[in-house]
Amino acid sequence: MELDNYKTIWKNQPEEKNKLSALEIYKMTQSKSNSIVKWILIIGLLEFVFWFAVNYLGTKNGALDPFEKLNLINFIDNFNYFHYVVVVLFLLLFYRNFSLITTVDDTKKLMKNILLVRKTVKWYVYYNLINVVIFSVILNILIFNTPDGINILSGIENESFNQEHMRSVFIITQIVVIAVMILILWLFYYLLYGILLKKLNKNYKELTKLNEIS
Amino acid sequence: MQIQLEKNFLNDFEKNQNIVHKICRIYTTNQDQHNDLFQEITIQIWKNYSKFRGESKFSTWMYRVSLNTAITLYRKSNRSIKTQDFSDVSFKIKAEDYDDTKDKQLKALYDGIRELNDIEKALIFLYLEDKPYKEIAKTLGISEVNARVKMNRSKEKLRKILNP
Repeated sequence: MELDNYKTIWKNQPEEKNKLSALEIYKMTQSKSNSIVKWILIIGLLEFVFWFAVNYLGTKNGALDPFEKLNLINFIDNFNYFHYVVVVLFLLLFYRNFSLITTVDDTKKLMKNILLVRKTVKWYVYYNLINVVIFSVILNILIFNTPDGINILSGIENESFNQEHMRSVFIITQIVVIAVMILILWLFYYLLYGILLKKLNKNYKELTKLNEIS
Repeated sequence: MQIQLEKNFLNDFEKNQNIVHKICRIYTTNQDQHNDLFQEITIQIWKNYSKFRGESKFSTWMYRVSLNTAITLYRKSNRSIKTQDFSDVSFKIKAEDYDDTKDKQLKALYDGIRELNDIEKALIFLYLEDKPYKEIAKTLGISEVNARVKMNRSKEKLRKILNP
């Protein structure tokens, strides 16, 4: 049977038997949305809060006390001011991109805008990771250029410790910690957004597949 | 103002709800998912209703928001094991025009469409609903040429599924 015949059958199909009344429809409009857009918003905001908390608690919890001894507080403060400005800019961008999402747009544009929000958050995460790495590198350079820097920082003031040995342990520990942190975060985001946006990515590819031809 | 808006919305939506039911039926496989998607579409249409300016017919606008929700926003829930599959439920047809063959063909058509991917489903659905290519292209955000190429491929795929 040809598709046009099926079209006739489609057109003559009976009305839905479970039709909803106006009251039932009204009740539905009052219920909560469970769309991926909502989840992207929630997860995105949680990421902002998470990174902000990491930074804030890091500076407030006495973690910086040893740095005071090394006269690095000014450097850290300036670094933090810069960081907060960037966070605010990211939040504004996140809000702007999020407000672009509307189901009234055509399908392709809607998908594009959702992916844009996701990208904003992705760049925010990258920024934070790079931030951590750069911060550590600069800090290390400053520490190594301060006489007895490592000893002051680790609280060990025994001269008998092998400085060279301490230095190696210090550097390796930091590299391992940063690498593990990046790996865990990458895996976490990959899984989180991977699952959430799997369908969207697939459909976006499918929709834009032939665009190059026409 | 708000009350009038709600009244208009309910009136428009109730009259056109068949469109949403058909979309739910092709994008989901059981009654729970059907209800979930229906609810999400209802929320999306209501949320955007104040932006509907009446430049196009309400139903045209409704096609767009409903398909966008089904293709892009909807996440299938996992609470679907206990419920009956659609394949077990035959459509209730009015007694006077009951025709077993037609019933089976309609069911075969729905089953066939469900095997297509999300974009193909939308294309075939708009074709069955007799929408012009211009409107199909505009709804999906692709060029008319692209819509035609994709439509031909989707039709071919469906034809093969229906006539193996």
